[in-house]
Amino acid sequence: MLSRIAESLFWIGRYLERADDTARILDVQLQVLVEDPAIDEAASCQQLLSVMGVEGHTGAVNRWTILDLLAHNVDSPGSIASAITAAREGARGARETLSTDIWASINTMWRGLPSARTKRPPDMFAWVRNRTAMVNGIADGTMPRDEGWNFFVLGRSIERVDMTARLLSTAALASDTQVAWPTTLRACGAYEAFIRAYRGLEGDRQAAEFLLLDRWFPRSVVSALMEAERALSRLEARGQRSGFGDEAQRLLGRARTELEYRPLAEIVEAMPIEMERLQRTCAAASEAVGARYFSHSDTHAWTGGVSL
Amino acid sequence: MSDAHLFDGYGPVAGFDEMFDDSTLRSEYAQVHAAFTRMGNDEIRARAESLASAYLDQGVTFGVGGEERPFPLDIVPRIIEARDWTDVDTGVRQRVKALEAFLADVYGPGEVFTDGIVPRETVLTSPHYHRVVAGIEPPNGVRVHISGIDLIRDGQGDFRVLEDNCRVPSGVSYVMTNRPAMSAALPEVFADHRIRPVQQYSRNLLAALRAAAPSGVSDPNVVVLTPGVYNSAYFEHTLLARTMGVELVEGRDLVCQQGRVSMRTTRGLEPVHVIYRRIDDEFLDPMQFYPESVLGVPGLVNAARAGNVTIANAVGNGVADDKLIYTYVPDLIRYYLGEEPVLRNVDTWRLGDADQREEVLDRLDELVLKPVDGSGGKGIVIGPAASREELDELRVKIDADPRAWIAQPVISLSTVPTLVEQGIRPRHVDLRPFAVNDGDDVYVLPGGLTRVALPEGELIVNSSRGGGSKDTWVLADPSTPADPKDAVDEEADGPEKAKSMRAAAPSVLTEDGGDL
Amino acid sequence: MSMQGQVQGQGSASQWQSGSPRPMQLRVRHTTGFTYAEGAEASYNEARMTPLTTSDQVVLRSRVEVSPTAWSQEYRDYWGTVVTAFEVHEPHDALTVVATSTVESTPHAVDVAPVGWADLAAVSDEWCEFLVLDSWVRPHDDLGAQLDTLRASSDTPGEYAVGAFGLVHDHLRYLPGVTQVSTTAAEAWEAGAGVCQDVAHATLGALRRAGIPARYVSGYLHPSTEPVVGETVEGESHAWVEYWDGDWRGFDPTNAVVPGDRHVLVARGRGYGDCPPLRGIYSTPGASELFVSVEVTRLR
Repeated sequence: MLSRIAESLFWIGRYLERADDTARILDVQLQVLVEDPAIDEAASCQQLLSVMGVEGHTGAVNRWTILDLLAHNVDSPGSIASAITAAREGARGARETLSTDIWASINTMWRGLPSARTKRPPDMFAWVRNRTAMVNGIADGTMPRDEGWNFFVLGRSIERVDMTARLLSTAALASDTQVAWPTTLRACGAYEAFIRAYRGLEGDRQAAEFLLLDRWFPRSVVSALMEAERALSRLEARGQRSGFGDEAQRLLGRARTELEYRPLAEIVEAMPIEMERLQRTCAAASEAVGARYFSHSDTHAWTGGVSL
Repeated sequence: MSDAHLFDGYGPVAGFDEMFDDSTLRSEYAQVHAAFTRMGNDEIRARAESLASAYLDQGVTFGVGGEERPFPLDIVPRIIEARDWTDVDTGVRQRVKALEAFLADVYGPGEVFTDGIVPRETVLTSPHYHRVVAGIEPPNGVRVHISGIDLIRDGQGDFRVLEDNCRVPSGVSYVMTNRPAMSAALPEVFADHRIRPVQQYSRNLLAALRAAAPSGVSDPNVVVLTPGVYNSAYFEHTLLARTMGVELVEGRDLVCQQGRVSMRTTRGLEPVHVIYRRIDDEFLDPMQFYPESVLGVPGLVNAARAGNVTIANAVGNGVADDKLIYTYVPDLIRYYLGEEPVLRNVDTWRLGDADQREEVLDRLDELVLKPVDGSGGKGIVIGPAASREELDELRVKIDADPRAWIAQPVISLSTVPTLVEQGIRPRHVDLRPFAVNDGDDVYVLPGGLTRVALPEGELIVNSSRGGGSKDTWVLADPSTPADPKDAVDEEADGPEKAKSMRAAAPSVLTEDGGDL
Repeated sequence: MSMQGQVQGQGSASQWQSGSPRPMQLRVRHTTGFTYAEGAEASYNEARMTPLTTSDQVVLRSRVEVSPTAWSQEYRDYWGTVVTAFEVHEPHDALTVVATSTVESTPHAVDVAPVGWADLAAVSDEWCEFLVLDSWVRPHDDLGAQLDTLRASSDTPGEYAVGAFGLVHDHLRYLPGVTQVSTTAAEAWEAGAGVCQDVAHATLGALRRAGIPARYVSGYLHPSTEPVVGETVEGESHAWVEYWDGDWRGFDPTNAVVPGDRHVLVARGRGYGDCPPLRGIYSTPGASELFVSVEVTRLR
C-alpha cells in the first residue's frame, strides 16, 4: 500500500478518535463545572487546556473559551471541529482506497459540523460520539482486514491511549474527585461496566485501575495498547523468534507491561506525571511508525541551476 | 400544475433540435417523450430532485477555484441513433489515428513538413511542441492513449469537430456516474431502450494502459497520477483509479532512480511501469520543465527515454490540440490515411495568414475568436456578444500575436430538451466522445459526455460557465451483433488490486479476527 | 575571452578564415558544478559538455565524470547535442562534473556559393526556428535602426552579415561581470558590454532581423592565437554563431574571426537556452554556488 495512503488511514483513525475522546472529556469537564459549586472555574479550565496540549492562549479562560478552543473553532488545532475536518481531508486524499460507505459517513459528519456547532454542548458531544461510532461501525463492517485496516486501527488505538491518559489526568487533578471519577467513568461509557465489575462504587483507586488496566474494557489504556500492539504485529507479518524488531511495538509493549506489573499505588499517586509519560510514549511510537512505514524522505523542494 | 406544462412553450428553435424536427417528434425520442408526458411535471420534478441529491451525497463534483461544486445532471437523456453514432465512431477513430501519425511524425522524421502538408513554423512555434521528447519512441507506438474529441451538431444536424483533446481530456467520470444515476431515476424509460453500456470503459482503459507497458514487462504496474485533492478533476481521478483497481498516486509518492520509476509503499519501493498522468506536461518533470513544480516527479522524462516507464498520454501531445493544427487535421487525415475525413471541421480562419487576418479583423463583431492553445472555452470571445471595448482589446491582442488566434463563424449548436425552471426547454449541447487507443485499435466509448448550457441562449457549454451534463444514450443497432468491447464483464485482466497491494493480509487475519 | 583583431570594412566573411594547414589536436577539461552551503539531498541534471564530431572537427576521446558517483544515461537531444543525464540520490556537499575530450580540428572552407536575398525565402520554413526573434536575441532599437540602414545598402545577405558583425563587435565590449546568464541582447546592448553569450545573441538578432537564418553555437576556444604544444592554459566556455548563406557558415563575433582550429564545437541551438553546459535541479535547504573552470591543452 502507498505510504501516503497508509499515513492517511493512520491519521483518519487518530483524528476520529480524537474528536470522539475530546467530546467525552469536554462533556465531563463541563458537567463538573456545573455540578461543583466550589470549583475555581478559571484554574480548572486552564488546567484542562494544558492537559489537552493547547498552548499559547492568553487572557481569561472560562467554559466558553474551552468550548471555542476545544470544540467549535476549526482553526484551533485541538478542537473537535479541526479533528473532524482533518479526518475528512485525509479521507478525501485517500478516497479511492475507501469504500463509498466510509467516505460518505466521514463526509456526512464533516458536512454536519456547522449545524452541530449550533447545538447545546451536551447535544453536540452526543452527536460527535454517535457519528464517530457510526464511522467506526461502518469501517468495522466494510473495511477489508488489509494493511489499511491495520493502520486505521493502529492510529485509533494509539490516540485512544493518549486521550484516555489525558482523561485520567484531568480526573486526578480535579479538586473534588468524588464528582470527577464517576463522571470520568461515564465519559468513557464505562460506568455500568465498572459498577458490575466492582460490585458497587468502590472509589478513586478502583476507578483508575479499571480505566488503566482492565483487559476486557475496550477503552482502557491497557486494552488500547494491546490493540495497537496487535495491529503492529499484523503489519510486521513475519514472526520473530525473540524480541521485537519494530520500534513502535517495543515502545508500546514496554509501556503496557510497566503499567501492568508496577504496583498500582505508585501509578495512582503520580498519575499526571505517569500519564504524561504515557503520552510521550504514544508520540514516540507514532513517530516510529512514520519512520518505518511512511518514509518521510520525500517532499524535496527543488531549485533550478544552470551553468555557463 | 398540470401535465400539459412539460413541453408547452418548447421552441421554436433556431438551429437543429434533436427531439423535434420543426414540430414533428423525431422517432428516437418517441418513447422518452411519451414517458415524460405520462409521468407529468410533478413526477419528473420529484425524480430530478432525487437525482440531484443522490449526486450530492456521492460527492460527484468538479472543483472551481478550490471549491467543490456539484455537476448537475439533467433528467432528460440525450439520444443518439445507431446510424448517427456510426459516423461519430468511425470519424473519431479516423481522427485519432491521423493525430497519432502526426505526433509520431513531428517528433520523428518530420515528413509532413518536407512533403509540404503543414508548414514547419506552425508546429515548431507551438508552445506545446516539446523538443525534449523528440526521439522518444513510445513502447507500442501510442502517444494518444486517451483522447476526447469535442463535437457539435450544426444546423443540418451533422456532427462537426470543434476541438481535439489529446493531452488530459477529462469528463469521462461523469459518463460513468450518469448512467447508473439515470437508470435509477428513470427505470421504466431505461428499460424501453437498447442502450449501449459505458461501464466497460475502465476495463478497456486498463487494457490499453497495460498494452502500453515497456517491452519485457509482462505484468505491468499501472498507476494514475493526480495533482491532488485540489484539482478540479480529482473526483474523476479517484473514480478511474478505483474502477481500474490501480493506485492513485501523487508526485510525491513516486521517485525516479536510475531511470526507473517506483512508488513509496509501506513495504518499500515498488516499480511502476505505466503512468496514466493527469498532470499537465509543464508540471510533470521539474528537471525538464518548471523546477518549482511540486506536483511532478524529477527524472520522469528521462526514465521514459530509457524505456522503463510509459507516460500516458505522452508528453508533447499538446501540439495536436493546437487550434492552428486543428485547421490542418482534414489534410492530415488525407495525407496519413489516404481517406476522406468522416467528420468535418468547423470553418476556420488562420490569423497568422495576412489575408485571412484582414478579413477577420473586418468582421470581428460577427465571428468567434479562439486562442489556439486554450481549451474548454478559455479566452473565447464571441463577436456578436462582445462590447466595443472587448473587441478593441481583442484587436490589440491579435495584432501582438496573430499566431495565437483562430476565428470561426458563430455556429448555432444543436439543442436538446432540458428541464429548467419554466419546464422542459431547448438548450444547447455539445458532445465529447472518449477514445482509447491500445495500439491495435481505437475504441470509442459509445456515449461520451454531453454538456448542456443551462442559461438560455448560452453558446459556450462548459462546467465553469454554469453548465450541466446529460446522460448520452447511444442506441444499439438491433441488426448487428454487440461490440465485444461493450462487454461489461470479462474475466481477463481483472482488477489489479488483488494482486499487488492487498495480498499480505489474509494469512495473519485469522489469528485474531475475533477481536476486531 | 580576450579579443584580437578589428573588424574591417566590407567584404566576404571568409576573409577571416584563420585555418592553419596542419590539423591541431586540443584537449579540453571542463570542470563545473555546485557547492552547497548546507548540503544537498538529491540532484537531477543534464550535462551538454561533449563535443560533436562535425565536418570541421573529429572527437577522438571524450568522457564525462560525475562526483559523487551517479547513475547516468547518454542521449542526443533535438538539436543533435550529446547529453549526459545523471542523478544523485545520496546527501552531498558538492556536485562536480568533469568533461574531458580530445578533439582534432579539420576546418574546411565552405565551398558553396553565397546566395542572394531572394534565395532566403526558399529556406525560411526549413530553418524557421533560427529565424525567431525572441526576447533573447531581439535587437535593441538603436541597433535596429542601424541594421535597417545596413540592409538597404547591402546587395547580398553575405554583405549584410559582415556589416552586422562589425556593428555588434564595435559596440559590445568584451567585459565579464556586466551581464548574467539571463541577460537579453537588448540589455547587453544598453550596457555596451557583455560576454560571448551576449555578443552571440546580439549577432543572432541582427542576422535574423534581415531574414538570415542564424543559430547559436556553444563550445570552447583556445585563448592563444599561437597555441604552444603541451602547454595547459586556462580557457573558458565560448559561444559564437552560424548563419545560413547557401550553407551554414560560422563566425565568432566576440573575436571577429571565422571559427578555426582553436574552436571546439559542443552544441547548437536557437540560443543559449538550448545548450547550457549543465542544467538541473537540486534539493538543498541552503545556498548554492556555481563553479566553472576550463583547461585547454594543445596536444599536437
